[in-house]
Parts: sequence; C-alpha cells; structure tokens
Amino acid sequence: MMHNLKKNLGESTDNISSIDLQKVCLYIEGKLVLNQLSLHTQVKRLGIIGRNGSGKSTLSRALSGLIEISSGQLQVAGIDPYKNRRAALQEIGILFQNPDHQIIFPTVLEEIVFGLRQQGQNKNGAAQNALQTLATFGKTHWQNVHTSALSQGQKHLVCLMAVVAMQPNLIILDEPFAGLDIPTKHQLQRYLDKFTGSLIHISHDPLDLQNYDQILWLEEGQVAAFGSPEAVLPAYLDEMHKLGDSDDISHLPR
Amino acid sequence: MISLTSPVETRAHSWSAGLKLGVLCLSTLVLFSIDSLIIQSAFLLIILILYALPGPVFMRYGLSKLSILWPFILVVLVWHLWILELLQGCAIIIRMISAVALANLVTMTTKLTDMIDVVRFLTQPLQRFGLNPRILELSIALVIRMTPVLLNKGECLGMAWRARSTRRSGWRIILPFTLIALDDADHVAEALRARGGLTSSHPETRS
Amino acid sequence: MEKNIAYIALFAALIAALGLVPKITLAFGVPITAQSLGIMLCGTILGARRGGLAVLLFLLLVAIGLPLLSGGRGGLGVFVSASAGFLLAWPLAAFVTGLIVEKWRSGSLALVAGIASVIGCIIVMYMFGIIGMAIVLDKTLLQATGFITAFIPGDIIKAVIAGLLTAAVAKARPASVLSRPAQNHAG
Repeated sequence: MMHNLKKNLGESTDNISSIDLQKVCLYIEGKLVLNQLSLHTQVKRLGIIGRNGSGKSTLSRALSGLIEISSGQLQVAGIDPYKNRRAALQEIGILFQNPDHQIIFPTVLEEIVFGLRQQGQNKNGAAQNALQTLATFGKTHWQNVHTSALSQGQKHLVCLMAVVAMQPNLIILDEPFAGLDIPTKHQLQRYLDKFTGSLIHISHDPLDLQNYDQILWLEEGQVAAFGSPEAVLPAYLDEMHKLGDSDDISHLPR
Repeated sequence: MISLTSPVETRAHSWSAGLKLGVLCLSTLVLFSIDSLIIQSAFLLIILILYALPGPVFMRYGLSKLSILWPFILVVLVWHLWILELLQGCAIIIRMISAVALANLVTMTTKLTDMIDVVRFLTQPLQRFGLNPRILELSIALVIRMTPVLLNKGECLGMAWRARSTRRSGWRIILPFTLIALDDADHVAEALRARGGLTSSHPETRS
Repeated sequence: MEKNIAYIALFAALIAALGLVPKITLAFGVPITAQSLGIMLCGTILGARRGGLAVLLFLLLVAIGLPLLSGGRGGLGVFVSASAGFLLAWPLAAFVTGLIVEKWRSGSLALVAGIASVIGCIIVMYMFGIIGMAIVLDKTLLQATGFITAFIPGDIIKAVIAGLLTAAVAKARPASVLSRPAQNHAG
C-alpha cells in the first residue's frame, strides 16, 4: 500500500506540471472569453488573479480539459487535456467553487471511491485507497458520514480529498475559499499546503496568493501581468481600488 | 428562456391567440373524423402552403420540427406495407403530420404573453374554487426563472463528474440535482415570504 | 403556502432541467433521458397533490410554447402527436405515484417509491399512452401495446432508480420530502 503514497512523498522537482498556452482563444456562446492567451510556465505554485468575468474560471476549465478551446494550442504536462481525457484524469484534478455543485454521492467514502473506480481500480482497491486518503487527512471517522450532514468547510475538504485520492500531479483550484469564514479558510489552506504536487489557485483575493511562485493577472481574457507576487499583486490591488471608484457595474453585458 | 415563437413575423402573429387555438381545436377534430386520403392530403397541402407563405427560413424551421415524428411514420409505414394496406397507412401518417404541423404553426405564431393571457382567461372559472390567478402567473414566472438556474447547476455537476471520469454521467447525478432543486425551493419560499407572502384575502386590492 | 408554490415550481423546473441536460447512461450502457425519472420523483418526493400540480405546471409551460421536453421539444404539436397520450398522462402518473407513497407507510421507502413508480408512472401512464397512440395511429389497443413493449424494461429500471433516489433524498433532506411529512425512516 505504501507505493500508492510514493507520488506525494517528496519527489517534488519531477512532478511540476508545465503549462503551455499559445494564442488560445475560447468563445462561449459567441462571446470571446479567452483572447489570444499565451503562457509558458512550470512552477509549483501558480496563482491566477483577476476580476469576476475576467475569464479565470473559463481558463481553469480549459486547463483541466473540461471545455474545448476554440483556437490555439493548450498543453498541460505535455498532454492535451481535452482530447486525452484518460491522461488528464491521471494528471490533473480540479476543485470547484461550490461543493454543493460538486459532491455527487451520499456518503464521504463513496464520494472519494468514485474517482478511483473511474481510474480503473477494483472495488476493494479503491475502498482501501480511499480509506488511506481519509487516514492521511486524519478523517477516518468520516467514512460513513452523509455528505449532506457536513458543514460548508467540511464539504470543501471532502472535495479536496476526493481529488487528492486520485493522485494528480496538478490540482487546479477555482476560488476554493469562496464564502468560507476565516478559521475554515486557514484550516483548508493548511491541508492545501501539504500537497506536494503543483497547484494552480484561482482567486480574486490577493491575500490568498501572496506566497505563490508566480501570479498571472487575467483581464478580459488576456494577460494583464505575469510575474512574481511582489511584482503583480500591488499593481492589481491599485487597479482594483481604482475600479472601485468607478461605476462600471452599470455596464450591461453586450 | 427562449420560447418557440418564430422571430419571423407573420400576419398570424397579430391574430387573437384564443381564435387561433379555437380554430386549431376545431380543425384537429375535423381531421380526426375524416377518413378520405384525398381530403387529408388537401389539408396537409394547405398547411404546407401556410408554412411557406412567411418565407424559406420560417418554413425550414417549421418543417424541421416535424422530423421527430419519423419513428411513428416508420412504424406505420412498415406495418401497413406488411398488411398490404398502404393507402390507409398514408392517410394515418398524413393526418398525424397535419395535426402536429398545424398545432406547431399556432405555437410559432403566438407570443408567450398572448398564450398566458389565454390561460388566464381559461382558468377564470376556477377562481370560484379558490384559484388565485396571481399564483398561477407567479408559478409560471418562477419556472421560467429557475429552469436556467437549475440547468447551470446541473452543468456544474456534470463537470464535477467529468473531472473524475471519462464516462458519461450516470443516474447518480440526479441525487445532488434533486437536492439542489429542494434547497433552491426553500430559498425561493423564503424570498417570497420576505416580499410579503402570497396569502391574501383580498387579491383585488393588492397593488 | 409559499413553500408549496416554491416546491411545485422548482420541481417543474427540475423536470425541464432533466430534459435539457445530456443523456444519462444507465448501468448497462443504455442511454435514457432523465425526464421521466423527474416525473416519478415529483410523485415520490412531493406527494400526490403537489407532485401532480408540478407536472401539470410543467405541461402548461410546454403547451404555451417553451422547449422544455427532452431534445428541446415543446409547443402544441406534442399534444396531438402519437405520444400525446403518455404526455397527457404525466400529471396523473405523478399523482398516483405520490398517493401510493403517501398512503403506504410500512417497509423501506426505496421499495415503496419504486413500486409506486411502477404503478403510477408505468402502468397508469402506459394505459393512457396506449389509448392515445391507438387513436392517433388508428390501431387497436393491442397493436399499440405491441409497439411500446420495448420501452417497458428501461422504464422498470428507471422505477428502481427512482426508488433508490427517493430513499437517498429522504436521508439527506428528511424535512423536504413532502410525501412523508415528519416521518422517521428506518432505511
């Protein structure tokens, strides 16, 4: 059973997923959401920041291969995640904003076992690995708990465990802390910090991304800035405060 | 939510919805009481002409709506070929196509609001039994409002499934979908109560 | 009162949403449209009256021209087609299903809901569906029955699933299962 944990125990440098985007365009219902986006990076902790509507969520879904890009090239860890779903499921995990729109099964164990079974593991193997994941998080006593009985923060944790159990090299987090209170946020952050693979964390709050390796600031589907947190975050905050003084909330979507 | 009313304006768009529906009911009754293949075919021809009058876009769209009838057409054709009564089979098929095409024509040339007016009119007698017309209209509005919301959340669930599986989503996904609908129902009930609620002994005097 | 309206409207929306999401695959790789499952759930979860009203409201919206049937179908045409009998029977099917779940209190909810779905959404619905098909296609009742027998196995699987789903919903949201108000479930 130890071999299942090998991936997450300190083989750090080999596991950093490369992100390669070349002039990626993505239309959703006729609207250009990602606009000639080009990006090449390979870091352990990448933050993506921007206003709501900047294309962050769309980018997360494109990177995880859940939606198809309209033009350009997109590769994550050397694979096309949309065309090669099997490889994408091994490499990439994604955590969405709202656990209520993400948890499918009635009990915690079933929720974690699901992904493992889909990866091809048999019933017993999947159950064992799921229990192992629960144990790593110190939540063995959660196995038969009904998911609807959990608090918001606990549901977020279940979603995280379900993803981690599949042992991806990269986890994409789409605003994982939305709506959580401060203590819950800190506790979840601690669990996140333990993940030894790469993380792409999408947020509109710079405080979440201060310690990350690189920050991508997305604005209207394009790169507004890309660099270290010290270089990008202060400029982002400035711009956000400036926009706060304006009234662009009045503008209707075209 | 987009209704099935055709954006191509026709003269029928301005006719009374009640009148159109009345003519539709009558025509359908007549259609189903006639056996003659010739008369059925004439009917269908008239209906096809009605489809062609507003232009090719209208006609193509309208006729595409009839394509879902193909399984029934196939079954009847095969059946009647087998029992060597092809003419009778054709009459049945033509009658069905006519009825559906005429009904769809009414749908395509009637605005949603006009239809709701007819519903309001038709449910007037029920007010004597306690039906509050405002509640019916509110219910219609709620469904129109909430269907896209539920659809969105359903798509999220679908994505959460596809993020962990290469297979199409199974029936399991209907569980969280139903729970979401129940939770949204609770929230909507709260919102309704917060805005004054629905129980009123004098519906006419409410603004 | 507000709760009734909200539940009825939201379940009508759920039937619509279930018809508009991509097809769902059953255990044996058989694709089904989940919409008819939605009819069953209206009965098993909301009960007879509310479940029937939810389905009635749904059909009303289809009739006034909204593309809420699976495949984006809608409008008045579907009410005169060969399958119109089934469609028109939906509210009654939900009502009967709900009635059985409300009255039959013993045994596991999954079993009761499953059997209720068979009786209401298969037996009763098919009765009216066959009559409607016989009229439109000018066939005898027996002949019309022959046409639709192929769909029965799939619908029985749906009824089983409806039973399982109802029991799972009752565990997760006991207060929301209006067909069984203030009831403790043994499982």
